[in-house]
Amino acid sequence: MKKLFYLLAVGLALLGYTMAVAGETGAKLSQESIIEKIQKEGVIRVGMATFVPWAMKDKQGQLIGFEIDVAKKLAQDMGVEIEFIPTAWSGIIPALLTGKFDVIIGGMGVTPVRNLKVNFTVPYDYSGMSMVAHQKRAAGFSRIEDFNKPEVIIAVRMGTTAEQAAKKYMPTAQFKLFENESQALQELNLGRVHAVVSSAPMPAFHALKYPDKLFVPLKENFTKEPIGFALKKGDYDALNYFNNWILNMHAQGFLKEKKAYWFESKKWENLIK
Amino acid sequence: MKRAAGVIKSVVLLGILAAVLVGGYQNLEYNWQWYRLSPYFFSIEKGQFVKGLLLDGLVITLKISSLGLVFSILLGSFSAFARLSVSPMLRLSAWVYVETIRNTPLLIQIFILYFVISPVLDISAFWSAVIALSLFEGAYASEIIRSGIINIPAGQVEAAQSIGLSVYATYVKVIIPQMLRQTLPMLAGQSVSLIKDSALVSTISIYDLTMQGQKIVSETFLTFEIWFAVAVCYLSITATLSFLIRRVENKMRYIN
Amino acid sequence: MLKKKSNKFTLVDMAVVLIVIAAISFFFSRMGNLLDYKWEWDLIPGYFIFKDPVTGTFHSNMLLTGFFTTIRLSFWATVLGFLLGTISGMMGAKGSFSQRFASRLYVETIRNIPSLVLVILFYYFVSSQFLDALRLDLWLRNQSDTIQGAVGFFLAGPERINAFVSAVLALAIYEGAYISEIVRGGINGIDQGQWEAAWSVGLSRSKTFLGVILPQAFRRVAFPLAGQFISTIKDSAIVSVISIQELTFQGMELMAATFLTFEIWITIAVLYFILTFSLSRMVAILEKKFSWQQ
Repeated sequence: MKKLFYLLAVGLALLGYTMAVAGETGAKLSQESIIEKIQKEGVIRVGMATFVPWAMKDKQGQLIGFEIDVAKKLAQDMGVEIEFIPTAWSGIIPALLTGKFDVIIGGMGVTPVRNLKVNFTVPYDYSGMSMVAHQKRAAGFSRIEDFNKPEVIIAVRMGTTAEQAAKKYMPTAQFKLFENESQALQELNLGRVHAVVSSAPMPAFHALKYPDKLFVPLKENFTKEPIGFALKKGDYDALNYFNNWILNMHAQGFLKEKKAYWFESKKWENLIK
Repeated sequence: MKRAAGVIKSVVLLGILAAVLVGGYQNLEYNWQWYRLSPYFFSIEKGQFVKGLLLDGLVITLKISSLGLVFSILLGSFSAFARLSVSPMLRLSAWVYVETIRNTPLLIQIFILYFVISPVLDISAFWSAVIALSLFEGAYASEIIRSGIINIPAGQVEAAQSIGLSVYATYVKVIIPQMLRQTLPMLAGQSVSLIKDSALVSTISIYDLTMQGQKIVSETFLTFEIWFAVAVCYLSITATLSFLIRRVENKMRYIN
Repeated sequence: MLKKKSNKFTLVDMAVVLIVIAAISFFFSRMGNLLDYKWEWDLIPGYFIFKDPVTGTFHSNMLLTGFFTTIRLSFWATVLGFLLGTISGMMGAKGSFSQRFASRLYVETIRNIPSLVLVILFYYFVSSQFLDALRLDLWLRNQSDTIQGAVGFFLAGPERINAFVSAVLALAIYEGAYISEIVRGGINGIDQGQWEAAWSVGLSRSKTFLGVILPQAFRRVAFPLAGQFISTIKDSAIVSVISIQELTFQGMELMAATFLTFEIWITIAVLYFILTFSLSRMVAILEKKFSWQQ
């Protein structure tokens, strides 16, 4: 019995020691840029979340999408392998900060609030918010103001700029938050909410799928936001590297081409279903 | 002397644990901001007590858990009696109910109830959560109640029947009082389970304690502060409940 | 117990059957009218196994891999939880004051927090302390392909190993608390007479514990432990919130991409059911066999 107890105490002490060492190595590593680290390890770990068509799984379970293409090209240009770490979106920044991956390439909108916790690269894309609404419940709604009423219920994905934008422009409405867009859209299909706010072109795509139930109430996106890579603070080398890589990709037309493929055509649809 | 040594060792253990925690605390390059927590519990504005978001969530958790407790016990009792009844169909239906619920995860049950069943039957989100929890806990309660009834010594039942008590009277005068004595520990277990399992309703956007926590974290990134606070909240409710029920149990033992 | 359970079909039975049929038909007719849902069951098998059009070989797809991940997770979590729980149970049953205190602290803390909160806390706070620093994924990447394959089969591949180990540990800690109570109950339930008999024969306390009490306790707890493994399978659904690619997570991802909500939820529920139900039936059969031998 005694032996067990001392075993436990020793175990705890070992744990404490490992943590101290981990803390030190963590501190050391944070002096070193992730660019160095990625080169040494030969792999870049990218955090993302499922978001059709930014990142999703095809019929064979492989990841495809706009963000996936961008990340793969980055890895290719760096000469390293790539590891995708799908993470719940509402916890993706804490996951980055606790070192679960090196960078977030997942269609993350650059916002001042987020910028207090992470660094962003220059934009590699621009997005804006739009809405898809239920024909019966939101009948006749055509402006933002129509939705800004206490009896209106809006479904959004938790922790996204969609949630922030929706709350900013429709503060008196009620909100239902879900971990995934698909659940929010499910609510909409069932007519339990008036509308879903999400990054364009997702709402329009969804309205096209169910033309007899849903419609797009607003003529234009009601916000505009830059999309950048997110990384830990204090890493100037990585920021510089990624920024220049993005500028390069803009110049080469790579980003424009990919955007056209994923967002403006629907050629990829049969890959997932 | 031995007792003192034991206490000292326990304190040392707690000390090591605390050191590990504090070490971890400082390890993460995390900017702890505990002071930002308190408005989420409550604030005093213009001399009025204003409930913070976390307290709101707590209230919802308690509401769902208590409703769930009542329904799960009702459902569990009904199901237990059904399984012990004469009618084979009743036995079969209760068996199907219990086995289906006990062999699927609660998370899946909540999702199915909310996304598949409730749209068809037009149930609100709050009641979907209550029904899902009641169904789930009811199945487990059913088994506990059923074994409680079975384990009443056959001698008692035979004695009751030999002095001419009807089935109904046997139930009321012999079985149920004994069951009640056994029920109290079960009640403790059930209520603790309910409070814990109610955390899962956050996945269907019910604004309970866990959901409020997630929401606040996704807006402010006060990850660890909020999650620790939420864990402590749950711990205090369940610990208090268990403690209270244990006291009632002890009092009842005196009465008997 | 009170009356003989008959298998005769009485009026009550008729009523029950009618009610059930009425309820089900009501449900499906409303579903048809209200939701206008088009069933597409033919797509589901493809998400289990698909045929690579180029090479013609069969590969397992998301649902099948998720299914196996769930099994792996539950297995390792139960094994580790068993180790943890046994130590804690032994300490809790027959340990000194501080040992019982330690065990009680562990059990009460874990049993009073929702598993969801525990998993989240563990994933962000605890695992980042030492697990991420270990960089298991890196170690694994640098191994030979055979080792990677073997580890991948029993645990997870390099991309997922960190999260997988995190989830296993979190689940093990959670299940360990329950196993601890089972073990403690098993040890305490052994008749005091056994202790006294061994003492009178001259066996020391520790020898008694190891040689006489423990084997008996294990025989008693073997079946509740099997029940715990089955519980773990269900509890493993929780780790989907930290994006572990187990069955529930894969199901949600699939639904996000294809919107085949009804088909997928039903398939997943059925899969869990088949897994746990068949296991508990097997355990029940084994239990009957062993109780005869006793």
